Amino acid sequence: MKHISPTQVAVDTPTRAPTRRALAKQQTRLKVLAAARRLFSEQGYEGATIRDIAAAAGMSTGAVFANFTDKSDLFREIMQDDMEALTAAMRDAAARGRNVEDAVLKIFMAGYTFYKTRLQLARAAFSVSWDKDGGPTLRGMSSSAAFQDLFTEQLTAGVERGELSQEAEVKLRSQMLFDTYLSNFPQAIFEGWSLDALQARARDQIRILLAGARRG
Amino acid sequence: MNADIAPLSGPVPPRQSQKEATRQRVVAAAHELFDTHGYQGTTIREIARHAGVSVGSVFTTFASKGEILSEVMQARLEPLYAEIDRVMPHLRGCTADRLRTMFAVHFEFEARHVRLFMSHIAAAYDWTLPPAARPYGRTPRLQEVIRDTLIKGRTEGDVRQDVDLQEIVDLLMSAYAWTYRLVITQEADARLLIGVMDRQIGLIADGFAPKP
Repeated sequence: MKHISPTQVAVDTPTRAPTRRALAKQQTRLKVLAAARRLFSEQGYEGATIRDIAAAAGMSTGAVFANFTDKSDLFREIMQDDMEALTAAMRDAAARGRNVEDAVLKIFMAGYTFYKTRLQLARAAFSVSWDKDGGPTLRGMSSSAAFQDLFTEQLTAGVERGELSQEAEVKLRSQMLFDTYLSNFPQAIFEGWSLDALQARARDQIRILLAGARRG
Repeated sequence: MNADIAPLSGPVPPRQSQKEATRQRVVAAAHELFDTHGYQGTTIREIARHAGVSVGSVFTTFASKGEILSEVMQARLEPLYAEIDRVMPHLRGCTADRLRTMFAVHFEFEARHVRLFMSHIAAAYDWTLPPAARPYGRTPRLQEVIRDTLIKGRTEGDVRQDVDLQEIVDLLMSAYAWTYRLVITQEADARLLIGVMDRQIGLIADGFAPKP
């Protein structure tokens, strides 16, 4: 099923206002997405059923299936929305970085700040990402690759400015920075680390991971 | 931790020995089923049937499937750490190389049951997991081995004195866990995983090396 976001509707039919039916359909989709977001956060991906989501949205399971193929489709849509918003926030944050280290730290912090109020959803996403079936879907999303590109861009810029050596192994280092960024989520989710605590830890981690690139 | 409490001496009270027998049968049955059907694909009911015990007695022994998984992982790690403990004192070379060997032993061991190991990582995010369960990240043995290797490196001078050891331990632990993602995305085998981890260790080692 092809999904149509409100903005696409506007772009596709610039001269005509969307029909009442299209608007109603859009409303239904948004209601389902809001209910699904809440239930995934409360009960995890496995725990939330389409039936519960439909009930929470105040509609039949049939109405949910008319808009989404299955549960993974719903989850992917929610993650897609969040990842796009987050990538934009990270990009803005990185642009304010004073140097490579600072820019990378700002990317980390934009992520932790974004998820501060939705840690349970992040937890559901991690759980899915290690799943044999869910993993490839989530990790294969273009917005997921965009995160790593953000780190690559910063490191490449660092090499160009001469902050990092030419042999900085940008690809591997970007990958590791992204992994390290993700690896701090359990502290936030389970141990309730504050943003300050996460920042102190992230700063050290980034220093260690960039140390080798500075020499040479 | 219950499994560590062995009867001190004399005849074992029948009830306790029966409970322990149930525990062992459940863990063995779960191990087989997780290996073949994966963690998500196995139900408590199936584990009970395979173990030849009632569903009720599984639940009097374990709080949840997540706890059974922790127990399975602990049990199967015993031989791995026996091997690590045997090998580590004899390893030569720099700290990075010792870490490389240590992780290579891990990858070779886990590659045989890689789906099970990834369930173990996923369990860290499981909703129903009781506090007693120890998914990946709460397993102390690997952390200890890494820490000991780094401490040895300090005395030998290739690990900086002022570096926060726990931070390095955590970085290596997460590099190790995330490397398994390549199994999902590229169906990587143990050799590929080891190669990627070797490079990551080199990079982290740059970070803990003494300043030139």
